[in-house]
Amino acid sequence: MPFDDYIAEHERRTRHVLDMGGPDRVARHRAGGRLDARQRIDHLFDPGSFVEIGRFARSERREDWDRTPADGKVCGYGRIEGREAAVVSHDITVKSASSSPINVRKMGHMRRAAQANGMPLVLFNESSGARIPDTMGAIGTGTLGQDPQQFIRIRDIPYVSAVLGPAFGTACWFTQLSDFVVMRKDAQLAISSPKVTAIAINQDIDPMELAGWKMQSEVTGKVDFGVDTDEEAIGLVKRFLSYLPSHHGEAPPRAEVPAGSDAAAASMLELVPESRSRVYDVRKVVAAICDTGSVLPLKDRFAKTAFTALGRIDGRVVGILASNPLFKAGALDPDSCDKATSFLVLCDSFNIPIVLLVDTPGFLIGVEGERRKAPGKVINFMTALQLCTVPKFSIVMRKSYGQAYLNMGGTRNSDEMLAWYSADVGFMDPNVGVNVVHGVRHEDDPERFAQLVAEIRRDSSAYDLAGIFAAQAVLDPRESRTWLARLLEVHQRRPQKSIGKHLMGNWPTTF
Amino acid sequence: MASESVKSDITGKVWKIVCAVGDSVGEEEPILIIESMKMEIPVLSPCDGKLVRLLVAEGDDVAEGQEVAVVER
Repeated sequence: MPFDDYIAEHERRTRHVLDMGGPDRVARHRAGGRLDARQRIDHLFDPGSFVEIGRFARSERREDWDRTPADGKVCGYGRIEGREAAVVSHDITVKSASSSPINVRKMGHMRRAAQANGMPLVLFNESSGARIPDTMGAIGTGTLGQDPQQFIRIRDIPYVSAVLGPAFGTACWFTQLSDFVVMRKDAQLAISSPKVTAIAINQDIDPMELAGWKMQSEVTGKVDFGVDTDEEAIGLVKRFLSYLPSHHGEAPPRAEVPAGSDAAAASMLELVPESRSRVYDVRKVVAAICDTGSVLPLKDRFAKTAFTALGRIDGRVVGILASNPLFKAGALDPDSCDKATSFLVLCDSFNIPIVLLVDTPGFLIGVEGERRKAPGKVINFMTALQLCTVPKFSIVMRKSYGQAYLNMGGTRNSDEMLAWYSADVGFMDPNVGVNVVHGVRHEDDPERFAQLVAEIRRDSSAYDLAGIFAAQAVLDPRESRTWLARLLEVHQRRPQKSIGKHLMGNWPTTF
Repeated sequence: MASESVKSDITGKVWKIVCAVGDSVGEEEPILIIESMKMEIPVLSPCDGKLVRLLVAEGDDVAEGQEVAVVER
């Protein structure tokens, strides 16, 4: 055949694939204010850096060859701010981006290539689930499971998911495996669609209650951010990756320090009330400690008594885990423990030093907590902290009591333990302690109660902690940022070239 | 206009009500303050909207998860 004929045929086939599910379906999809699978890739990658892998893959069913361009999942490599990454972008206009033997093969290829070459895997998830009839019957189902590594997570590279439409089946599973998830507020994320679920359990299902962003960001905590647009979602994916190394054998990238980043620390005394009975929002303290505009909260709508965020101090990436007195006085509940554990796993897996900010009356105790396995979750959290090999710095701001003192980095559970001069450390809140130890209630005998509180509070100051060298320094709150910046400079694990042991790389993402 | 239930996330006593029915409230703005564990713990609005119902009074005991107000988006 002459080359001209090859060229014409190649161009025809290429056009067919780039047209995705055809102009009508693509137009309908875009009319809903959505980007299509290929536009999403354009938004993700540096211009001109995308190379497509598996462009001419198609359904293995002959009758579907012409109707399955790229078999409904667009894959390839590109650069994000100059760094290589792999992408799987589900194309809902092709058979609802349902999963088939061929496109699952493509996904496996992308995952293996990303792992072998140390680059993040980005997933734009939007799929109806398994393709029918391809996966029907023993023959269809038996063709699944060809990849015994498909769902292994060892956190050698970051997985990041944007849920941009209905995401069921494989799209849901890979979202669960991801380190960071952003979701459109009109998208759905569940094992099966509301329609299939309603039929299966013979019940009316409210789609948002089953699979909506509020459910996934406030109840399950799987989703980090709910957003209104694809552009916003992709922007957050890129922002998250800017804090992470490309793979676990690298330190996170250092950034320029925005001008004026030291100024906010001076306001610290205004952010934390003098009265111990007053609460405050620890997020403001975190913002004042970190470089200006550098804080990216994770799971901010879930388990709010624990605040988790990536940020930078003096340009160096840190993971911040803080109890937040604004919610339940900062008492840590079972969900907060899960949130803390998964955050420690993330930071340790990607060589991100951890800063713990502590103001907590302890773990929230009660029947409900026990029913929800609070003791197991507390000890999971504690085990995770002790397995961390990245540097850890803990600052006790006000209260730190009981086991929570240890979980939040107390004594040798952090590399350097610091205490504000306002720190108050003991086995439990002195007001409660008087009740427990002496059986005296404030309303029965206020004078005696006050005397006993003072007695219990004795020897519980920052200086008492520093006196036995459980704390390495006592600080003015306004010095927190400069202290942390200096300690990050010192604690760089130089013999290991800032790379941790990643003892939790294969811990489950979802507890 | 959708209604959102405002629930206390902690057991305690209503110490102070800081919003009146009809007031506009922002997401995470306090509606009332509960005294619990010797702390003043705010109950925050779950969304931007208008406070349409208050279901407790100062001095009332509230349980964890109890509905204390309603906000209309």
